[in-house]
Amino acid sequence: MIRNPNGFLREEYNALVEKNFNWQPKTLEGPSAPVCKVEGKDVIMLCSNNYLNLSNHPKIKRAAIQAVRSHGAGSGSVRGIAGTMDLHLVAEERVAKFKHTEAALIYQTGFAANAGLIPQLVDKGDIIISDELNHGSIIDGVRLSKADKGVYKHCDMGELENVLRDADSKNYRRILVISDGVFSMDGDIAPADQIVKLAQQYGAMTYIDDAHGEGVIGPDGRGVGAHFGIEGKIDVEMGTFSKAYGVVGGLIAGSNDLRNFALNKSRTWLLSGSHPPAVAAAQIAAIDVLENEPRHVKKLWKNTKYFKKQIKAMGFDTGNSTTPITPIMCGESAKAKDLSAFLYTQGVYALPIVFPMVARDKARIRVMMNAGLKREHLEKALAAFEAGGKKVGLIQ
Amino acid sequence: MAKVGFLVNPIAGMGGKVGLKGTDGKAVEAASLGAKPIAGEHAAVMLAEFAKLRIEAEWVTCSGKMGGEYLEAAGIQCMVVHKAPAPSRPEDTVAAARAFLKEKVDLILFCGGDGTARDICSVVKRKIPMLGIPSGVKMHSSVFGVTPAKTAEVLAGFISGELKPAEAEIMDLDEEKYRNGEWVVRLYDSALTPFESTLVQTSKMMVTEASDADVLGEIAEYIGELVSEEPETLFILGPGGTTEAIGKALGMEKTLLGIDAYAGGSQVGKDLNEVAILKLCDKYNKIKLILSPIGSQGFVLGRGNLQLSPSVIRKIRRNDILIVSTPAKLAKTPVLRFDTGDVTLDTELAGRGWISVVISYRTSRLAKVQIN
Repeated sequence: MIRNPNGFLREEYNALVEKNFNWQPKTLEGPSAPVCKVEGKDVIMLCSNNYLNLSNHPKIKRAAIQAVRSHGAGSGSVRGIAGTMDLHLVAEERVAKFKHTEAALIYQTGFAANAGLIPQLVDKGDIIISDELNHGSIIDGVRLSKADKGVYKHCDMGELENVLRDADSKNYRRILVISDGVFSMDGDIAPADQIVKLAQQYGAMTYIDDAHGEGVIGPDGRGVGAHFGIEGKIDVEMGTFSKAYGVVGGLIAGSNDLRNFALNKSRTWLLSGSHPPAVAAAQIAAIDVLENEPRHVKKLWKNTKYFKKQIKAMGFDTGNSTTPITPIMCGESAKAKDLSAFLYTQGVYALPIVFPMVARDKARIRVMMNAGLKREHLEKALAAFEAGGKKVGLIQ
Repeated sequence: MAKVGFLVNPIAGMGGKVGLKGTDGKAVEAASLGAKPIAGEHAAVMLAEFAKLRIEAEWVTCSGKMGGEYLEAAGIQCMVVHKAPAPSRPEDTVAAARAFLKEKVDLILFCGGDGTARDICSVVKRKIPMLGIPSGVKMHSSVFGVTPAKTAEVLAGFISGELKPAEAEIMDLDEEKYRNGEWVVRLYDSALTPFESTLVQTSKMMVTEASDADVLGEIAEYIGELVSEEPETLFILGPGGTTEAIGKALGMEKTLLGIDAYAGGSQVGKDLNEVAILKLCDKYNKIKLILSPIGSQGFVLGRGNLQLSPSVIRKIRRNDILIVSTPAKLAKTPVLRFDTGDVTLDTELAGRGWISVVISYRTSRLAKVQIN
């Protein structure tokens, strides 16, 4: 057999290009800010995860620079061997304190947290019960374990209870219920209080991926546990530093037992280099800012409410969103793509989310609000949406 | 451009209003009882809806009332590839299906009922998909659109590539049993029909469409693991395309329409009847039954697998009945039904009104069950 060892690379890439499924990331020239320079053009940024505009906060930048001076550019090792610095531990203590949990552990990324921890929590003879719309990194975490998986209809607590009862009757060893806290495509919030209550009835563990709720929902942006007043009751509260906190890194908050278990068993944590000191220092500074400057979360919600109110008044359908993620429902893919392209010509950067990321008839523009946007930016973006919506026939 | 073969069974559905259980071989009787042809009307409604969607396709059809007349009336250009006498005969459906196959059509659109579906399937098998405009007395097969207008949407979805062919059951009344006064619907064959495709999330926010074969492969892999972990357990596989894929993955000679059995690494039964199944069950302490529902109709027991009688089912715990289905088929099947003929057993199987269905590798989801 004559093999062409590299032929598939181009073949498979070309197949993606043909279907228009290939990623074509646009380049930011300069910082991620409310108004960015994207490939030479100044645009109002409505698709970053930088909800609180902390990625450019002077205190956080200063902390990162200072850490480079005091601790260097890199960490030298994986956390398990010689890569745990005082800064890493401080960051974890601060997370636990901020989220009112016993302990916390910081992973290299949110993805590394899910992919590293989920397969350790469940194994053969166990079952993971998952919301049908859970994020891709949870799904990969699920695939890496040998556990069975039961899926329930999005946020449907009746069906969750039925799946729990079914799993209970089949004598699974462990049951793990996993849900996103804030769903990234629709911007709705999982009823985490009810999930916890149901799980407790059946002796199931709860795991909430709060990547889009961290820094956004709950008092001072303390996340999903605080939002529902169930801090410390979610067995694993997972979050990220890469979105509202404006840095990078995944986190889990929960009991001391959880931290001890997770750091000894998660292969992603054990086998990747630890965060550079600048990252750990920036994480600490981000929590400082959240604790001491409540105005960012307030401004995020003020902008969100204003934008939602105006866009709805124009006649756009925004689905079930109750968070700074606002889907502008467009129906067919072509409309979402046309609207996004029009917005870009008007200096507004908002990406279309189309099939196969969402169902064929549920194409949308996903607007992610930013606390740093001023009223004039919002007015400009809204005017562009109004003109574009009329142009593609979404509103009258 | 997609090529569609179109045929109308002009007498389909005539028997219904005058109390006949089908119109095959009974058109003259039906007409004498006052029945009027209805298939043409249904075909015309569907074609008018389709014409509104302005989707281009190449059409081949039969002459006159077997197709051409209705396409012309809807303003759709077509080529006649089968000339049928007027009135047409039952063998014209088979001849037309053959002509369509020769023309290499991408799909056969037909207007009729279970009888027409069976005739077409006997020729095309799973080579090309078929789609039925509902117009028969009996429509138990899972190849029919819900209404003539909805059928137009399905056809449009198939032509644009949004819907992909997947396995569907061809069901019909068992005529032999019916002559003895028994109303029994049985599984006759397995066909292809357009389905909404199954999506698989591959990486962050990205999803790809999985082919029917891929999804069946995932289900088969999981069942294969279960089987190898339990060498002492008897696995009974019901009929249909989904269980056929599982059987093949196990290296069995799985019959498409029959009940087969597997245990300890080898096949221990082929095309079993009730007596043989009961005999086999007595040899094993633990039995698991793998079944797939009839698409759209939702029957898990009682249609196409009567060998699995109440006596057989009573030997198996409810949790040991593994129901398997591709997500695409399950999405098109709103309610699962148990109709073993034993009402107490059916009620026990229905439980609280839901049952878990294996939809992929190690993955299940609840489906609603009809409570009688």
